[in-house]
Parts: sequence; structure tokens; C-alpha cells
Amino acid sequence: MAKLRMTGRGLWITTLVAPPLAFVALFIVYPIIAAFAYAFFDWQGLLRGEFVGFANFHQVLFVEPYASWTRNAFTHNIIVFFALMVLQNGLGFLLAYGLWRGLPGARFHRIAVFMPVVLSTIIVGYLWKLFYHPLFGPVNQVLRGIGLDQLAQPWLGQSSTALWALIIANAWHLVGFPTLVFLAGMQRIPTEILDAARMETESEWVKITQIVWPLVAPSATIVFVLLFVGAFNWFELPYIMAGLDGSPFGSTDVLGLYFYRTAFGNVSAGTQDFGLGSALAVLIFIFIAAVASVITVRLRAREIQV
Amino acid sequence: MTVATANPPQHNSLLGTLGRDGLIQIILIANTFIMLAPIVIMVFSAFKTNPEIFQSPFSIPDFTHVDNFVRIWTETNFLRYLINSFVVTGGAMALVLTLGTMAAYAIARYEFFGASFILLFFLAGLTLPLKLAIIPLFMLMRDLGLLNNQFSLIFVYTAMGLPTTVFIMTGFIRSLPNELEDAARMDGASEARIMWAIMLPLVRPAMVIAGIQNVVPIWNDFFFPLVFIQNDNLKTLPQGLTTFMGEYSTDYGVLYSGLTLSALPIIIIYILLSRQFIAGMTAGAIK
Amino acid sequence: MTKTTIRIAAVLGAATIAAPALAQDLTFWSWRQEDRAQYEEFIAAFEEENPDITVTFESFEATNYNTILSTALAGGTGPDLMMVRAYGGLENVASAGYLMPLDEEKIPALAEFPDSALAAETMRSDETLYAVPFASQTMLVIYNQQIFDDLGIEEPETWEELLEISQTIEEAGMMPFANGTATAWQNETIVSALTSSIMGSGFYEDLDAGEADFTDERFIDALTHLEEISAYFPDGFIGLDYASAQQLFSSGMAAMFAGGSFEIATFRNLNPDLELGVFAAPGTSTDDEKLVGLFYDGGYAANASTDHPEAALKFLNYVASQEFGQAFADSLSNISPIPGVEFSDPLLQEVSELNQASIPYMMLVDFRYGEPSGSVLLQQEVQKLLAGETTPEAAGETITEGLSTWYEPFQD
Repeated sequence: MAKLRMTGRGLWITTLVAPPLAFVALFIVYPIIAAFAYAFFDWQGLLRGEFVGFANFHQVLFVEPYASWTRNAFTHNIIVFFALMVLQNGLGFLLAYGLWRGLPGARFHRIAVFMPVVLSTIIVGYLWKLFYHPLFGPVNQVLRGIGLDQLAQPWLGQSSTALWALIIANAWHLVGFPTLVFLAGMQRIPTEILDAARMETESEWVKITQIVWPLVAPSATIVFVLLFVGAFNWFELPYIMAGLDGSPFGSTDVLGLYFYRTAFGNVSAGTQDFGLGSALAVLIFIFIAAVASVITVRLRAREIQV
Repeated sequence: MTVATANPPQHNSLLGTLGRDGLIQIILIANTFIMLAPIVIMVFSAFKTNPEIFQSPFSIPDFTHVDNFVRIWTETNFLRYLINSFVVTGGAMALVLTLGTMAAYAIARYEFFGASFILLFFLAGLTLPLKLAIIPLFMLMRDLGLLNNQFSLIFVYTAMGLPTTVFIMTGFIRSLPNELEDAARMDGASEARIMWAIMLPLVRPAMVIAGIQNVVPIWNDFFFPLVFIQNDNLKTLPQGLTTFMGEYSTDYGVLYSGLTLSALPIIIIYILLSRQFIAGMTAGAIK
Repeated sequence: MTKTTIRIAAVLGAATIAAPALAQDLTFWSWRQEDRAQYEEFIAAFEEENPDITVTFESFEATNYNTILSTALAGGTGPDLMMVRAYGGLENVASAGYLMPLDEEKIPALAEFPDSALAAETMRSDETLYAVPFASQTMLVIYNQQIFDDLGIEEPETWEELLEISQTIEEAGMMPFANGTATAWQNETIVSALTSSIMGSGFYEDLDAGEADFTDERFIDALTHLEEISAYFPDGFIGLDYASAQQLFSSGMAAMFAGGSFEIATFRNLNPDLELGVFAAPGTSTDDEKLVGLFYDGGYAANASTDHPEAALKFLNYVASQEFGQAFADSLSNISPIPGVEFSDPLLQEVSELNQASIPYMMLVDFRYGEPSGSVLLQQEVQKLLAGETTPEAAGETITEGLSTWYEPFQD
């Protein structure tokens, strides 16, 4: 290292570092900063108009009908997050615990549980949309087949079931991810700690809550944060399964759909509005960043250093 | 960075654990059934006609009945979408791995002013949801004349893939021993030659991990093509899927065969390389 | 036959404006991806008569077409000629000054066009026409003639009869209507297709004059009737998407489909053996005028900053000619608004006759000029209504209230 002339060395490092930096600066950092700036202007189609201060923010938060649209979509994101926390991360933890025991066939189960994860959300969305079809979908056909005709429902058509139908499709798609992250966490628990625990108690429950759970806390932190960011970026699955309007009547509307619809318009809406869209993007962005950092800090504090 | 493969815990009493393990085994089998059944129904239905799907949705089909696949192959732009997906994913992966390794190598092997700042800069991009910046990205692509051009996708995917790649590669390159490098330097080899001939062959395992970490989300992405690409001949597979799902919306056999054909490439590769896939895709989440 | 008429049209188009000598390349954008073959034929005929002009046809996905077009125009890479939407959808593109203003001096044939057609392509703020309208669409009930014949039933004259025939069909083990409401915009089409006669032209006139809003009892009555007839929609219709509904009808499992005349071509495509009939959904008594819902799809426009304005105008004159309209109707099975066009297809002929008694497809025609658009409001409220989660009265109130945020006549 020392033998290099400073100019040559500097040039070489710059050659290595500048192109990747330029990509990140141009296609990530600049657009995100620009999104903040855009939100303070009035937009006529693709033309930037006057500076309007916080007017766009005020409109999406406090002026009807935008305010109730925003609230409605936000509430659904919250439901999605907590539901997936149980159905996806909770189930994932249990499955990981089962897989960790290394019973016969564990390798096969591991491959199976992760298989949907590699599929595109678009494929998963269409597949489950076909499954939920009120007349011909396998879900209702199974229910009718076992004599539960009254349970066969238009799952995606009712406001009471549509969001849950989407949540279940999402959990099926991605449960393999937390499962294998937790499993990796468990596999790194030192054998001595486990042996010691086994001396202390026979209860599986005590072992899970007192030993395993605290020791996989680092995995949990990451899985929780990723789920949070994912739940508030939810777009593809509702887009394919419920449409851009969050059908039926907004009962599956989430911030992602609402943002896209506001910014780029859809067939039935009058206009597209980059100003309001940017304001929404900024609000979602700030919310995600704030909560994600709180989750990280709070959970990190609880992690046990092994 | 790989998943730890420690031995499973030893069981001290076979009798005592039998009941408990039996329960666990049942749960695991049930779960595996739920995971695989939808995929199996999809593949089976792809070989059926509409009446067969309505009347016997779960029966084993006649696997010689490939009309649905023939229609997808000949009547739609499927092949074109597939090629486009390969072009875009291939282009982005080549750039991600090249640029990511360059940056990681510089950060990991040289001490220079701002190195840690640059690493932080990349890490900041790790969790930022870029979807929310789609409006400025859209305007940027318009100004660069890249709308309706696959380079818009390649560039965005490259930028999105760089943070994780730099993160994974930096950690790995740092762990490499110095001896080889120092010896080569003594022999008067240039820095570029040291990197190319000596260090790069050593970082291949990390490149596989970083590659898989990025290749799956890029291959599957739908959002950016939705906004950037309108010309049918330029669409990637997930986006193209929405086009022909619309065209054949009433022919369920064809729909299922379209889904099957789209899912097949990645499922087969996954089954062959499941260990690497699992390690790669969870790499960002495992410390 | 078609070829010759197109050729004559092309000559006429060419004759209106003196041809410059240089070769001119024009691009023409469209959202009708499925009509590419027909458009290439129209263009070939035009080019044959105008050897100095070449037109390149490019088509884009319909749902994103507006975004693509306005992006390209704003970036200066727009086409010379393009299809544009009507009503509020035209506004986005026209208000930015991207389109060439048109009048009867530039395109003499426009003098003969119906006013409602021209109004669809006229921007409200400057009262200027920007495009040559190309097709009207009609909201009505399409039925399976075979099923009607087999069951010995006829087109209903009153709402009561509509309920009766629905009952007959249901008792015969078939679905009376194929419609589903899971796809949002289908909720808007069924309102227009089934209840235009119930609302009556008087309601639309009052609405247009600012004397009525959607809390008006004639509108509430329409929604109440819609709720009533939805008992004859398929089981679980609130979860049934548009494509599945089309499938139920075209496969002969359902006898009627309430929707747009644009479905006719789709149904024939899905099942060429299908014998189709159409009727306007009736009012409560035989005295009520039977009305269909009517709107214009879009028009052909020219770029205001095209390098070849004469050539572009020549093309617009061509697409405004009766001969083009005839070829358009014959090969695309669409209702051309150009006067004098005759429909060799008896079904289209019938649709064009039904058009004589119509009210506008009103949310599109009048209420897509602001947010929230009338279409979005109506779609959501009808979806709710048919799911049993709101009443006609509450729906009317929500729609009126939503529109009052930007629609001035509702603001007092």
C-alpha cells in the first residue's frame, strides 16, 4: 500500500468507488431528496407549477375526501402489519422451532416452506385470485365438497373478508422467510447454553420463552423491521387481487395503492396529481423511517449479547 | 454470512420426546402440504380444460394434454417477455456484481479518507423504500430519455442492488488474509492486477450469495416496469403476465399454464440450488 | 369492398388540402392494441392515395395510455397524430396546449357531426374542439337470443316484465344476469345499462341545469330498482370479476349481460355461435321512454407542434369522412358518429337506433373534471349498496357530498 504514489493510489480508489457511488446517488439519493422537494409544489400534469408550501400535506391530511381516504388506507396498513406479525412471523417462529429439532424430513420441509418465497408476487396474486373465485375457485369447491356450503363465500368481494383473504395469500407467500431467518438464529445458539437449560427445566414453554426467544432476538429485530417496511409498502398483491381502487369500495385500499392512484391516476379518476402524490410519499416515508428506527432501538436494547 | 449449520440439539430421552416430536412432525407435514398444494393445483390445472377445472379441480390431469401451453407459447408474447426478463436481470446483475465488488474492494482493502462515510452512504440505501421515490424517478427517466427503454430498469435495479452487495462483499473481503496480496505487491504487481488475478477468485462464494440476494427480487419485480415500460415488446415476465392474464381472463386452463410457465424457471433453479437460495435470500437478515 | 370505400375516402381526404411534394413521416398513437390489423389497413389505404405521406401506427396499454401520452407530449417526443380520450380525459392533454385546435374550416366534414359527439372532444374551458370523435358506446342489456327463444320469453316492456323474465330464467336453472361487481367500474356500467329509463331524461336535464343533485328521488328510485334486480345476479356476484362475468354470459350459463355495446365484439369473439339481441332496460310503465346510456369513446387529434401540420390535417380529414366511418363500423363493429354511416350488422343497426333515445353515461360525461370523480364515488357506493352495506338514500347523499368538494352547482 505504502509504495503507491498518492496520486496513483487516489486515482485507483476513485476508479473503484466513483461509478457505484454515482449509481446510488443518481437513482436512490437524488430521487428521494427530490420527492421531498416535489411535495411543496403545485403540479399541472408533468409540469411543475408554483411553490405552495405545506398545502399538499394539508390537503391529504385534513381536507375531505382525501383525509378519510388517507385514514382508511393507513388503518388497513396497520391491520396488515399486525395480522402478518402473527400469521407470518409468529407462525414462522413456531415452524423454525419445529425444523430446528432436525426430525426426519426436516430438510424437505425446509425446502418446501421456502418455495413460495422465490415466486413473484404477481404469480402468487393471480394464483390466489383464481383460488378465491366465488364460483370456480378451489377454496369454495373444497368447502362445498366437505358439505360446508354456507361457508363458501365471495371472499374478495366482501368488505368483511377481502383484506383477510389478501393477508392469508401474503402469509402463504412469505412465511418461509421469517422461518428460515429464525432457524438460522436458533442454530447459532451455543450447545452449552442449551445443555445448561435442559438441566434446569423440562418445560418446553420455559425453554422457548426464557432461552430460545431472547437468543434469537437479533433475528427477530430484523424480521420485524422488514415486515414493517413491507407492510407499509404493500402494493403488488392488492394491485393484482383487488385492483387499483382497493375493491370492494376501498376495503382493501392501502397507502401503496392510494399513492400510486393519486400520482398516476387510473381509468375512473379525473386527474393525476404529482404534488399530492409526493406529499403522500413523504408522509409514508417519514412514518416508516421513524417507526423502523424506534423498533430497532427498542428491540436492540433487549437483545442478549452471546 | 452463510447460515450456520450447527448440529441439532441432542435428545437425552427418546421416550420423553416421542410425543412432542410426533406433534411437531404433524405440524410440519401439514404446513408443507399447505405450502405445496397451491403449486401442485396450479401445475395440474395447467393441463386441464375449463370444464375439467370446474368439475374436478383436484384430479390428476392427463399430462399429455399440452394445448394450454402451446397456446401460451404460440399466441402470446410469452417468449419475448421471458427473453426481456433475462436481458434486464442479466444486465442488472452484471452491473451490480461488478460495481458492488469494486466499491467493496476499495472500502475493505484500502484505508482512505472517507471510507467509512462511503460505506455508510451505501448502507443508508439498504432500507430506503425506493418505491416512494417513483415520481422523481419517473421524471428522471424521462429527462434521460429512458422511458420505454430497458436501461431504465437495469439502472434502477443496479442502484437498488448495490447497498446489499457492498454490505455483503465488504464483510467478506475484509476477512480475507493479507499474505497473498502483500507477496504480490512485493513482486511489483499493479493494484489492478492484484485485485483481478489474486483477490477476485477468492471472493466468488460471496458473489454467489450477493447474486442470489439480488437476482430473485429483480427477476420478480413488477412495480418499476409498471411505471417505466409501456411498449409490449419490452415488458418483463411479471408485467407481461398481467397482459396475457387480461387477454385470456376467461380461459382458466390457459391462465394456470401461463402462471406455471412463469413460475417454472425459478422453481426448478430453486430446487436445484435450494441451499444457496436460502442462504442468499436470508443473507441480509442474518448477522 | 371495404378497401374501395377506404380508397375513395383517402382521395377525398387528399383533395381537401393541396399536397406538398416532400415525403412526410407521421406517427400515430393508439390505445387500441387489439385493433392493430384494422388500423394498418385504414392506414395502408390512406397511404396509397397519399404516396408522399407515411403513417406509423403504435399502440399502448389502454389503462396507462393517458400517462404515456402526456409524458411524451411534455417531453417533446409525442406523436404527430393520436387517439385522445373524451370529456375529462381530454382535458389533461388539451389544457396544456399540446393539441392542434380544429374547426369546420380545417375539417369541413365536422359540420355534419352530432353536437353531443363534438361536445365530447371540446375542452370546456376554451370551448375549442381538439379531436375528431370516432365512436359512441351504448349502455344497454345484451341477451342470449337462443335462451330467450327456448324459454319463450321476449324483450321486456316494463320493469315488472324484466323481473318476470328473470324469474323464468332462474326457474329454468340458468343465471338471469351474468354481471358481477368485484371489478369497480362494472358498478358504473350496470347503473347506466339498467336504470337510465328509471332515472328518465327529466332527471338528467335537471341535473345538467343545476336544479337537481344525486339526492333527487328519481336517482334514489333508480338505485332502489338496481338493488331489486341484483337479486337475479349470480350467487356471490359481489366477488365476481368482470372477466368471469363475460365468461358466464358467453358460455351460455347466463341469459343477460348489462353493459356496454363494446361487449358485443368480445362476446362474439369468445363464442362465435352466440346469437345476440339487445334492448334498453325499461322504465316502470310502458309510458316511460326506454332509454340507453350513451357516451363517446375518444377522438383522433393532431399534435400542435407537429413538423407536418398539413399532412396531419389531411389524415384527420380522412378519418372524418363518411367512407372511413363506414369502414370503421364494418371492420371494428363500432358505432361511428359520422352521419350517413350504415351498419350491415343488424345488431349494430339496432344499437344505433336505440341511441336515438338516450341520456348520457353521466359520471363520465359530466363528473370526471375533479377529485373525487363522480365515477369513483358512484362505483364505490353501488358496490356498497349491492353488498348490503348502505342504502340508496345514503349512497345518493355520499355521492352528492363528494362531488360538492369541486362541483360548483352542488355547493350551496
